[in-house]
Amino acid sequence: MDDNTSQSDHSEPGASGASEFLSSIVIRAVNVKKVYQLGGQPVHALRGVHLSVTRGEYVSIMGPSGSGKSTLFNMIGGLDKPDEGEVYIDEVDIAALDNFELAWLRCHKIGYIFQTFNLIHVASALENVMMPMMFGGITETDARDKAAELLKRVGLGHRLFNKPSQLSGGQQQRVAVARALANDPAIVLADEPTGNLDLKTGEEIIALLESLKSEFETTVISATHDHKMLAASDRVVYLSDGQISDEKSREELEITVGHIGTH
Amino acid sequence: MTSTQQRDKQPDGAERRAGRILPDRETIRNQAQLPRKHIIKMAWRNIRMRLGRSALVASGIVLALAFLSYTLFSDAIAESMIAVSPPHVIRELQANGLLLQADDPDARVAARWMVGLAMLVCLVGVLNAMLLSVAERFGEIGTMKCLGAMDMLILKLFLLESFVQGLVGTLLGTAAGMGLALLESRVSYGALVWGAVDLRTAAGIAGASLIAGMLLTVAGALYPAWRASKMRPIEAMRVEV
Repeated sequence: MDDNTSQSDHSEPGASGASEFLSSIVIRAVNVKKVYQLGGQPVHALRGVHLSVTRGEYVSIMGPSGSGKSTLFNMIGGLDKPDEGEVYIDEVDIAALDNFELAWLRCHKIGYIFQTFNLIHVASALENVMMPMMFGGITETDARDKAAELLKRVGLGHRLFNKPSQLSGGQQQRVAVARALANDPAIVLADEPTGNLDLKTGEEIIALLESLKSEFETTVISATHDHKMLAASDRVVYLSDGQISDEKSREELEITVGHIGTH
Repeated sequence: MTSTQQRDKQPDGAERRAGRILPDRETIRNQAQLPRKHIIKMAWRNIRMRLGRSALVASGIVLALAFLSYTLFSDAIAESMIAVSPPHVIRELQANGLLLQADDPDARVAARWMVGLAMLVCLVGVLNAMLLSVAERFGEIGTMKCLGAMDMLILKLFLLESFVQGLVGTLLGTAAGMGLALLESRVSYGALVWGAVDLRTAAGIAGASLIAGMLLTVAGALYPAWRASKMRPIEAMRVEV
């Protein structure tokens, strides 16, 4: 149970100076454990996970459902707190944050993309993208301008006033991507972003995420069990039974993914 | 949740500032306080987006308040008819089956009971409609919280929404009820009624039913709005919609 060598494995990039090293790590999970009570039975969702993510990195978390992927994800997103261990976002322990600060963090620094899109169905695409900006206190006119710009960027400039029900799944996810970028987040969390999409649209969303990552210099973390998503990743973390079972860097991946891609 | 919060290991000093993402606590507090105008705009947007449901909630209030203001105003008119009319006119009217109720305390008590009951039904109606409106938006509230909406903001949005529905419903209901009472009295008593209508009494009744309507709405909306605001984002998200 103590095979967690991961932290030392992948923190090499900014290791030249101590301060530089610290600030280049945007997410750090230390021995994170979480137990849920399910019908009186304890379920160990996470059994001591160590993970750090560098600024601007694209990390995919792979694992079957029930591997603790979503739980880890919720913690990185400031939605849940660990029972044991610490999660640092930009070297701030999220357990030390009050509800105000957590909400602020979610609003300004984290962008979410969900498997089920989670758009507000009575609101137009434009209004959906405006929403996080309104929560952040940006004026309506400024929010409108920026939302229109973002929607144009994801290729929906002609669909601003359509309701989610009038958009295809791929288009809805594009709106969600635009919404995630609304407040210029440092981290974009994508929970199974291609889970509800067909192959081609899924690939388009992945390509979009990849291009946005380099354009906006955001850190992207995506939970997935979609192998297509791996090609875009700088690193893949394999989670099983609440623990990190394997990790692969881009170089190692190119061999295996290339192989998978050919058939 | 409280237990994890108590595990506050990180001191509040310089260490917290190590990162570049989070500003200090005060900046966060300031940025978290949205201007009132901004919140009102958001609530108004919410009402406009689901006009159908809003109209449904408001219509319950309209009916109850119309009944209340109609009863109060009819009573008031009948009372002042008796006060201002000469005895033979009253007798003549009563021979036609009018103004009897104003003289009969039992009938008036019964009418008040009916009004009370209508208010109660209205309260339950508002509570029900608001609970439904919250339940229907579980996923939405969770999403909003993920996107950074504060508890207070959610509470304010729901309360404002019901406040506007209540205000519109109350105004419409009061106008309809009092209008109907006046129309009926005009038909029953003829032109005599103009001498009996006292503007100050009418304004008093309008004010009373306005207060009653708003109290009713806020009372009905308080619990659902509070529940919505306290929902934890992941729990709210888990509900399939």
